[in-house]
Amino acid sequence: MTSLISSRFTTRRSRVQDWLFGGIGAIASLVTLGALGWILADLVKMGLPHLSVEFFTADMKSAGREGGIGPMIVSTFLILVCFLFPAIPLGVGCAFWLSEYVQGGSRIARAVTGGVDLLASVPSIVFGLFGMSFFCQVLGLGFSILSGGLTLTCMVLPILVRTTLSAMTSLPPDLRPAAGALGLTRATTLWQILLPAALPGIMIGITLGVGRALAETAALLFTSGYSTRWPESIHDSGRAISVHIYDLAMNIPNGGGKASASALVLLLMILAINLVASLLADRCLKSQYIS
Amino acid sequence: MCRLRVDWLVRHVLGLLAVVAGGLVLVIVWYLFQGAKPALESGLPRRFFGDPEWQPGSVRDPQYGLVPMLAGSFLVTVFATALATPLGIAGAVFYQFYVPARVSRWNLRCMELLAGMPAVVLGFWGLMVVVPAISRLEPPGQSLLAAALVLALMILPIIALTSQAALSAVPLSHLQAAAGLGIGRAGMIWNIALPAAKGGIGSGVLLALARAIGETLVVVMLCGNIAQIPGSVFDPIRPVTSTIALEMGYATASHKALLYAGGLILVLVIGLLVGGLSFRRKPNHNTVH
Amino acid sequence: MAISSVPKTNAPPPGTAGISVRDLSVHYGNFEALKDVNLSIEAGLVTALVGPSGCGKSSFLHSLNRLTDLVPGCKVKGSVRFGNGGESCGPGVDVLALRRRVGMVFQKPNPFPQSIRRNFEIPLREHGVRRKEISEVIEKCLRDVGLWDEVSDRLDRSAMALSGGQQQRLCIARALALDPDVILFDEPCSALDPMASAVVEEHIAALRGRITVAIVTHNLAQARRISDRVAVFWIRNGSGTIIEHGPTKEVFSNPVDPSSRCYLEGGCG
Repeated sequence: MTSLISSRFTTRRSRVQDWLFGGIGAIASLVTLGALGWILADLVKMGLPHLSVEFFTADMKSAGREGGIGPMIVSTFLILVCFLFPAIPLGVGCAFWLSEYVQGGSRIARAVTGGVDLLASVPSIVFGLFGMSFFCQVLGLGFSILSGGLTLTCMVLPILVRTTLSAMTSLPPDLRPAAGALGLTRATTLWQILLPAALPGIMIGITLGVGRALAETAALLFTSGYSTRWPESIHDSGRAISVHIYDLAMNIPNGGGKASASALVLLLMILAINLVASLLADRCLKSQYIS
Repeated sequence: MCRLRVDWLVRHVLGLLAVVAGGLVLVIVWYLFQGAKPALESGLPRRFFGDPEWQPGSVRDPQYGLVPMLAGSFLVTVFATALATPLGIAGAVFYQFYVPARVSRWNLRCMELLAGMPAVVLGFWGLMVVVPAISRLEPPGQSLLAAALVLALMILPIIALTSQAALSAVPLSHLQAAAGLGIGRAGMIWNIALPAAKGGIGSGVLLALARAIGETLVVVMLCGNIAQIPGSVFDPIRPVTSTIALEMGYATASHKALLYAGGLILVLVIGLLVGGLSFRRKPNHNTVH
Repeated sequence: MAISSVPKTNAPPPGTAGISVRDLSVHYGNFEALKDVNLSIEAGLVTALVGPSGCGKSSFLHSLNRLTDLVPGCKVKGSVRFGNGGESCGPGVDVLALRRRVGMVFQKPNPFPQSIRRNFEIPLREHGVRRKEISEVIEKCLRDVGLWDEVSDRLDRSAMALSGGQQQRLCIARALALDPDVILFDEPCSALDPMASAVVEEHIAALRGRITVAIVTHNLAQARRISDRVAVFWIRNGSGTIIEHGPTKEVFSNPVDPSSRCYLEGGCG
């Protein structure tokens, strides 16, 4: 009889523990999701009234309290172009070399991957500091869209290298001997067989990188500058949307409404980018399992 | 052979790109070091810890005390991580063991959304909502507490996502063994799942810590930016990152060198954290598999 | 590619090449996988390479077309000659041209994850075949493996959508497209179901007389059915070597080596 009683006791205790763990978890999750919901609700509530077609196309007025963010959207887009142009060959090329031309364990491969990993841990403000004095001053590019894009290239490079590398290593291993047995050169194998097969994975990396670049502010503060004019070339200074939000929030009294509208726009852009990435990922999985 | 020449060219061009990508971090560190050199050479290091205040721009009596800023960085980082860690782990346990996978997937999406939220948007929201709320309790509102709260929200998804990944990687057979012995869900989580996922969760927390040290925007918008050692959580502070962000636009000479030194410190601390992490992860892999 | 079928015992036709292998050893790091292998593979015939797992049959095959070059830490010593050609083992050999002459079909079907047509176009363009001629070559090679009627209407669809047996025949056709002297088969049927396996086997047997074939197989019945000559691999002193070789009939009916007798009669190995 004693054993029966003690077993009932343990059952009750474990049920209490179970409730306790579940309760704590539920509260933690509620706090987190509640905060996220609060942020989104506030942004929509404060920003939505300011959204209109004009907001996307019009010039800024009264230091940002009135008008739209047309020039900022164009600047942001140009910064992204300047960022992607060097970043794609550099990141994808680096990953190709690591996966196809050197052994994973070799000293040079470890040095390069270690360097890329360290680069990923450098905080964005340090990229800003480096970009300001190297691209803007030493290379003489000034506060320009080009400087901002190049600074972002340095910052987002590790994401591109890592995603491309993982896309390459998840390719079926028998493609390489198949190509080798047909007498294809490594270059042909890479461009005609491995690259097409890894393309969806590489595209995921690029979209993730674009998302990261869109969200970045600290690296752009002192590289692409604050100018709110319509940029005429990549050598002009241009204000990214994120920098615009920062400026409105910190320096412009009563800039909150337009700032939240801009934040809403930025958030929507990032959501769209994430959606593209997850669609690509779905397609990636499908192509691996079905075909 | 033309084909072989193309092959040679491709190999070397890709090798060059890889060396550029891998060497970039060295260039950046070397650059920071060069920039910081004047600050390290001119007898300033003694004053980093000797001077009580940070007034590098003052012409008559410049003060170079770094301690308030290092303390600010340390406090806001540790405070934010301490807030985010229990929330993140408890949430991960909840969604891994208490909630059907279908619902859990939605939570994952939300965490990804929070992780992808631009820092400037979080900082802006903190300025509009958190700071006024705190200032009602105890002015001025822009404070260690405000920065730490929003920073915690920012690094929370990192901890939650890595923790849940680590928990889901615990072999089902371990959990089945526990269930077969009549151990309840809570006992299974506490005695089997969490110990097995310890390594992964720990890496997530360290990663979050590294992210928090380097974070600039949230901190610069919410911490009040007064270089002092705070007496309470309601006092403003000024961490290293926001000092760089605020002063690099106009700093010159030895003041500028000090900002480079600050950047160098950040890179070294975070590099050590992340480097130690990857060092730690390797032996782990060997024992698990 | 003029001769389509030749009786089993015929003399080697002109235009194909035999392979003569002398003192071949293969090392992976410190491990000697294959030691002092001597074998001559007769032109135009089918030579089966049999033996228990891990005795170096695949290493032998891969060292013939230098695929061992792709394996880090792998060293090959000895001499390999194709027909009257020069030494193909060692440095200074045009490996890509060698691999064009010596095709290979792998254990697991490995079409490129692109369209059927691209599977032919990529290697053919690489070896300088003009665009106009390509579709002609594709049709001929697909007919050779009996795949033309099955896929002629979907050449631009993914090769990965084909069944396992069809994929393997596509790989054979792809190897044939380069008009090789020799095709090496590395257990081509072991990943297929029995029906598909029989079809693939039939098409390999049909290559006799046109092309020199070396085939690694674990299926002794298959070796008996399709090969003219057979070589038995075995492990001696920790590394693989050939313990017996000769005409299939002789080796199967009257093996000399006790180990190979035991293996071929199904007792051990």
